Amino acid sequence: MGIEIEFISSEMLDDKNENEKMRFILEKIKKNKILVIEESLSSLEETHLIEETMSQIDEKFSGIEVSTLKERTSGGIRDRLIRFLGGRTGGLTVIGPSRLIKKVKKEPQKILLLAEKKK
Amino acid sequence: MFGRRKIIRLGFYGPPNAGKTTLANRIAMDWTGEPVGKVSEIPHETREVQKKERVVVQTKGKKLIMNLLDMPGIATKIDYEDFLKHGLSIDDAQQRAKEATRGVIEAIKWLENVDTALVVMDSTKDPYTQVNITIIGNLEARNIPVIIVANKVDLKDAKPERIQDAFPQHPVVKVSGLKGKNIDSLYEAIAEHSR
Repeated sequence: MGIEIEFISSEMLDDKNENEKMRFILEKIKKNKILVIEESLSSLEETHLIEETMSQIDEKFSGIEVSTLKERTSGGIRDRLIRFLGGRTGGLTVIGPSRLIKKVKKEPQKILLLAEKKK
Repeated sequence: MFGRRKIIRLGFYGPPNAGKTTLANRIAMDWTGEPVGKVSEIPHETREVQKKERVVVQTKGKKLIMNLLDMPGIATKIDYEDFLKHGLSIDDAQQRAKEATRGVIEAIKWLENVDTALVVMDSTKDPYTQVNITIIGNLEARNIPVIIVANKVDLKDAKPERIQDAFPQHPVVKVSGLKGKNIDSLYEAIAEHSR
């Protein structure tokens, strides 16, 4: 069996409130999927995700690895206008089950991830 | 600004094994003669918030009155199998993991109840981790003053400048909680940055 990676557009999460978003993410991770989401979770969402994860840890599920690239914060007119209108200006989140992700190396503009399935 | 009579609720945040309890113990022992909690090389030794109230510290003519709040380490994963490697039985490892998960939740809930946060990092490790970024981002979102503690500078592999480079927006104080090195600078930073 290979490793399943699911790429999720930000539109797919648009109509979900924070609780629904966390449930959606964790349900998929507990099915041993790595998710690449087309948006950056906010710091408050990340702590919410950690809390939810902790409440679900047991002998089979040991938690998550998560890494985000933040939205562009440039002061360009286009980006400022998008943000003013409530839109997002990029960003990315990679999340997966910790037993599958062996290593995550985060840098300001890239994420390196090593995943390996136990035989 | 820091008020002379105000009690500062000082939260010690950071990942497991960064030396939070060792640092809190250093401060508490120096000024009260009593430790805050037990330390261990096994991660998640602190699984409940540990408090030492009304610790009075004198620094450069100022008096700081602090409630030290030593938080469980924040992590995104807790695998009981990791504790087995430290010689714990399966039952003990699973129990420790369960308590540790509750500790992480408790530490996050306490974010609302601190006036100033020390984010403690191990200077021998890569500071640019999601946990560190998440903790700091969360404190910034709540407008809580952050002082980053580059701990364990007594170790040969310590590179505290990496911490400074990773988080240039916050004051970074280089200390060794274990050896008591540069703790006075930390008191000065607390006095300067606390509200």
